[in-house]
Amino acid sequence: MKKQYAFYIDAERCIGCFTCAMACKNQYHQPETVIWRQVYPIKAEIYPHRERAFYSLACNHCENPTCLNVCPVVAYSKREADGIVIHDQEKCIGCGNCIRSCPYGVPRYNPVLKKAEKCSFCWQRIDAGLKPQCVQSCPVEALQIVDLATFDKPDAVQYPPGFPKYPKLNPSVRFLVPRLPKIIGREDI
Amino acid sequence: MSNLELPLVFFTVLSQTAIGLVIISTLRQWAVDGPTGNIRGEWVTASGLIIAGMVASFFHLGHPLEGYTALKHLDKAWLSREVLGVSIFLGLTVLGMFMARDKISGPVAFGAAIVGLATILFMGMTYSPPSYPAINNVLPLVFFLMTALLLGTSFGSWFASPEKRIWLTRVLAVTLIVGLVVYLIVPCVWLSGGTVMAQTGWAWIGSPLYWARIIIGLVLPLAAVWMTRDVPAWLPTIILIGEIMGRMVFFKDTLHAAGNLGGLY
Repeated sequence: MKKQYAFYIDAERCIGCFTCAMACKNQYHQPETVIWRQVYPIKAEIYPHRERAFYSLACNHCENPTCLNVCPVVAYSKREADGIVIHDQEKCIGCGNCIRSCPYGVPRYNPVLKKAEKCSFCWQRIDAGLKPQCVQSCPVEALQIVDLATFDKPDAVQYPPGFPKYPKLNPSVRFLVPRLPKIIGREDI
Repeated sequence: MSNLELPLVFFTVLSQTAIGLVIISTLRQWAVDGPTGNIRGEWVTASGLIIAGMVASFFHLGHPLEGYTALKHLDKAWLSREVLGVSIFLGLTVLGMFMARDKISGPVAFGAAIVGLATILFMGMTYSPPSYPAINNVLPLVFFLMTALLLGTSFGSWFASPEKRIWLTRVLAVTLIVGLVVYLIVPCVWLSGGTVMAQTGWAWIGSPLYWARIIIGLVLPLAAVWMTRDVPAWLPTIILIGEIMGRMVFFKDTLHAAGNLGGLY
């Protein structure tokens, strides 16, 4: 397998502090409605505990990206070297087809530029030998980058509950599913 | 698609009306005996509709002046193929319009009809992305074909000779019945699907616009055709209003998979 960078989301560690999302905003200063990284609370039907659990999600830099396939102006490209999917705003005409088509809701419409945009995996930082801003900022190291070509963590999953399954796209993301805390009641003693 | 997308509503409905008119006009000319009627007027109308649809489509672009670059990705993107299909269809329809006398030459008429059909296929593929589980299938193509047939036959009645109106009335009646069945059954089938598909089913069923579309766009026209055994002159406008409402439901009340992130799928 070729080198493919991916976000590794340790939902066991994530405390839902939104620092990753804020770090992304601080780095790129997107308009108010444009969000590249979002922290989603896992619903109680999946994680039934009063302490909440979260998935911090951004672009999954899929192996077979829908955004790239549907874009009529070839504004998206996938880097050979590391599999990062990049959106070239110079080419974008703001048709919104990528926004409608990505099942993970990643590309967003920038009402100021009248173009789509999405998480770039901070490729400029990657090229400079740095981590993406969201990964860099996470105070509990719940967000990491991994290379799927060498990644071998047996308890990591690609499609945890609460994350839609699209094998044709093959999203480059891995999760550690949060475990429910062990609750000891009187009857257990 | 969780957003009204009015420019796309008008683009898809108007362009499908134009394609329907051309297909029905071509079939009527060769498949049914009798005088052709006002063929030229029909193709002028089809040209006007496809131009209006294309103009409407530019309003959904952030940068409409760069819209021509949408032809760059023909090898993969259905949207590029759709743009190409609509452009060729426009060219053939305008050519047919200028060549039309009592008849339209076979190659131009059949060429435009076939390109029109292919364009509806491209549109069906463009609007069935994986992000909308309820319509990530053949349904958009079925909806769009139905729009083309309903509006093509009904508007075609304005231009058809009395001898050929009987055939048009029959085609319209059958399409209205099929449309009614499809539009009533589909949201109910969605209810038994996954979370987002079921949510889409409930969103459609709970939408007043959906029921207005059923009554104004399908039931009322069917009753009118049943009672008059003809296509009254006012009927195409009513069906057009129904189709526009139906397309608004399609764009507004079909739910995106990402809307349920963190929940069970």
